[in-house]
Amino acid sequence: MKKRLYLELENCIGCRSCLAACTQCGGHEERNRNYVYDVNPLVNRQTMPLMCLHCVNPACARSCPAQAIQIHETGAVLSALVEKCIGCQNCTIACPYGIPKFDTEQNLMYKCDLCIDRTKDGIPPMCASVCPTNTLQWLTDEEIENKKQHNLDNGKWVTSMPYLEGETNVKISLPGILQGVTKLF
Amino acid sequence: MQRDKFFKEIDNLTHPNERLIKTHCSYCGMQCGMNLRVNTITNKIIGVEPRYDWPVTVGKMCPKGVTAYQQTNHKDRLLKPLIRDDASLKGTKEGFREASWEEAYDLIAAKFKELQEQYGKDSLSVFSGVSMTNEKCYLTGKFARVALGTRYIDYNGRFCMSSAAGGFLRSFGVDRGSTLPWTDIHETDCLFIAGSNTAECHPTSMFRVWAVQERGGYLIVADPRETPIARRADIHLDLKPGTDLALANGILNLLIQNGYADEEFVRQHTNGFEETKELVKEFTPEYTSELTGVAIEKIVRAAEIYGKAPNAIVMFARGVEQQHKGVDNVSAYVNLALVTGKIGRTKAGVATFTGQGNGQGGREHGQKADLLPGYRKITNPKHVQEVCDVWGITPEEMPGPGVSAYEMFELMEKKTIRGLYLLCSNPAVSAPNLNFVRQAMKNLDFMVCADFYLSESAEFADVVLPSVTWSEDEGTVTNLEGRIIKINQAQEPIGESKPDWKIQVELAERLGRGKYFSHLHTAKDVADEFRLATKGGYADYYGATWDKIDKQDGVFWPCKDEKDAGTPHMFLDKKFYHEDGRAKICALPYRPPAEEPDEQYPLRLTTGRVVYHYLSGNQTRRIPFLKDMCPEPFVEVHPETALKYDINHEENVRLFTRRGEGIYRVKITEAIRQDTVFVPYHFGHEQSINLLTIAALDPMSRMPEFKACAAQIEKLEQKKVQ
Ligand code: SF4
Ligand code: SF4
Ligand code: SF4
Ligand code: SF4
Repeated sequence: MKKRLYLELENCIGCRSCLAACTQCGGHEERNRNYVYDVNPLVNRQTMPLMCLHCVNPACARSCPAQAIQIHETGAVLSALVEKCIGCQNCTIACPYGIPKFDTEQNLMYKCDLCIDRTKDGIPPMCASVCPTNTLQWLTDEEIENKKQHNLDNGKWVTSMPYLEGETNVKISLPGILQGVTKLF
Repeated sequence: MQRDKFFKEIDNLTHPNERLIKTHCSYCGMQCGMNLRVNTITNKIIGVEPRYDWPVTVGKMCPKGVTAYQQTNHKDRLLKPLIRDDASLKGTKEGFREASWEEAYDLIAAKFKELQEQYGKDSLSVFSGVSMTNEKCYLTGKFARVALGTRYIDYNGRFCMSSAAGGFLRSFGVDRGSTLPWTDIHETDCLFIAGSNTAECHPTSMFRVWAVQERGGYLIVADPRETPIARRADIHLDLKPGTDLALANGILNLLIQNGYADEEFVRQHTNGFEETKELVKEFTPEYTSELTGVAIEKIVRAAEIYGKAPNAIVMFARGVEQQHKGVDNVSAYVNLALVTGKIGRTKAGVATFTGQGNGQGGREHGQKADLLPGYRKITNPKHVQEVCDVWGITPEEMPGPGVSAYEMFELMEKKTIRGLYLLCSNPAVSAPNLNFVRQAMKNLDFMVCADFYLSESAEFADVVLPSVTWSEDEGTVTNLEGRIIKINQAQEPIGESKPDWKIQVELAERLGRGKYFSHLHTAKDVADEFRLATKGGYADYYGATWDKIDKQDGVFWPCKDEKDAGTPHMFLDKKFYHEDGRAKICALPYRPPAEEPDEQYPLRLTTGRVVYHYLSGNQTRRIPFLKDMCPEPFVEVHPETALKYDINHEENVRLFTRRGEGIYRVKITEAIRQDTVFVPYHFGHEQSINLLTIAALDPMSRMPEFKACAAQIEKLEQKKVQ
């Protein structure tokens, strides 16, 4: 059963456990590939994760002159292949969210690979496994469908309004999980 | 058993040449389940893998948990005993030399004997902690009373859980930190959380907290700061530090006035209602608002929500407990549940967020100055006899009650106490009024410290013994629910390090008390004696065998025998533990903090944790990820206050109180009261905020008032000329 990464941003408490967990994935060389931002640092403690959305037609891969960024059969947009990456950094500019990171020493791009060593066997990614708040979840399409009160009016999943990029494998709860919740009493 | 909607069957990822050891985190009371990854060729711990099958936390961990495994084979581990011959170097890292266990034991035994011969049995003391297994906590109490024969033993729970313990004992007659399992939390209709920065201190509770709101339930948070949990609360009661008692009394008054009291429940199952009702009448919304600084509408609305909620859980933590009226605060919040009858059933009750990994179990089994295993009292002859029967000593040999943690330092200063055996604690960072405490430690004739890193407190020792991390030993821990769980060994102790229980057995032999300890060869041996010693006490662990813990995903105490499955929910029969079976509703007159702001010290200083560090930081400050995320302390200041002092974000300022001072980097945030500043307490030496805190102790729990004192800021840097 196909599962996806699903994000409920308002749950985030800024604990950065997702970053710590990302350093622990196999082949990650203890470097995290995700981000957590303070949304309004001098005002409140709101934070949000910034994750690779594993675009269906990824700008990062399209921009790569060396075809170093492969798309796995699960839809995961992988980190650059060491033997192919020429270090041009096109992808870091092409990605609308600035996801790919660059290692200047190795002259190599690295990015979220959706913990492919785990997710190819249906095991949740490290970040979504540990996230203490369920900001990051690993769900089946059916489970996501059951949260449908979170769909946009136009019935589409998009990553931002207006569209920055097309369809993505990672889904984000917009406009927000508490929208439209009726109070119990 | 308690598998809920968050539980999913997931296989773990395993790599070749690797095995997973199921265990729990080394740090806070959540005791999140985790698997340690062990390389089968080197037999070393190499990483962590989520433990999806642990029903409380289903694989979730905060960043401390994710990186906890890095403690075990850390370069700072102590591998051999250290001895320092030059006492003038006390209080520094200097002058230690490596020694054999033989030499260290010989020296300790000789010094301990010398001090006791010259100054009496009680010239020695034991200061311990509750970030270790029940078995170790139990044996430490026995070691102090039987091997050393001293009355002076106490522990760091006095800086952590003692007020919760005192409040629960007074209200319920029993001190189990939660009346219900954590798997109930997301199913309640209202959470009233006071003085808990849950998102940073117990992060893995948060998915259950948020789920309450997602279901349409309510979240009420009382905190001087808009913490990450307060940010999303339906009502944030932004009270002045140290005014919880007024707030709780004010809300109780509204509950009673507006007809939310459950008269039937109150009549049948409680005492003290009428008297309390009279007392809280004074706490009108106006008066409560005046004392607490919280807007009247918020107080009224919070009481309305809690009153209307079919089910509700009142939860609290050190914010209300670390005050010189901490016990009263706890009882005052418990009052809300007792008066409205929202207790003694599922999905409703009261809980404290236990701070340390074994903050619950560690306080029950005889490390406290006046307690013996099974929560028995050392002042109760029947209790003493029961424990003597297990230990094989006579009641005459049992020392009397000692004094609380902070008071032990006062006795060191006076030279009543001359020797100290410190383990599992770092009071040179975590105690209040540190200038005094550090001086008291320097004043000792002889000090032994057991730790796995050279802590700030070890810097005061003459002998440092290398103990093991949690991953190199096994035993049980009681988590914040009151659930007894099993910590499993993943690796052999590194270097020459030894578990604390083994150190105590071997030291007891050196001290000529071997016959009471020599039969304890393994952690399991200690566990069996420990269970027996609790039998018949009200914290009865006798039926909580390791086997049962494994089969049942933990066992909630009390658990009296083999057939008893344990007690996840307390008071389901509406029977409380006072002799008449009733709970006590307490009439509690308000007292302000011991030190109120004045002209000289106009700000309120409060302290707490950040998500990246645990307690004194002796462990977490050494973990690269955690250190990167929060390398040093800071002072949180509201922008209006910053304007008044003409200070900027990231600027260094001098923060001072009547007791001490420090230089702190300013962090400007609107998420704090204007009259309050906040500094995290995880840092050592001149960065310790406890140099500034006050040692005003609660009369019952002897808890210092870490959460409120009067402070002042001074600008250091000159304005840059533009
Ligand atoms: S682990 Fe979850 S809650 Fe913590 S920072 Fe990451 S997304 Fe936010
Ligand atoms: S989010 Fe950026 S890095 Fe990720 S797949 Fe899309 S374009 Fe590539
Ligand atoms: S899915 Fe894996 S690689 Fe991607 S951010 Fe999460 S932990 Fe890192
Ligand atoms: S520190 Fe506490 S919340 Fe964090 S992983 Fe460990 S037990 Fe869980």
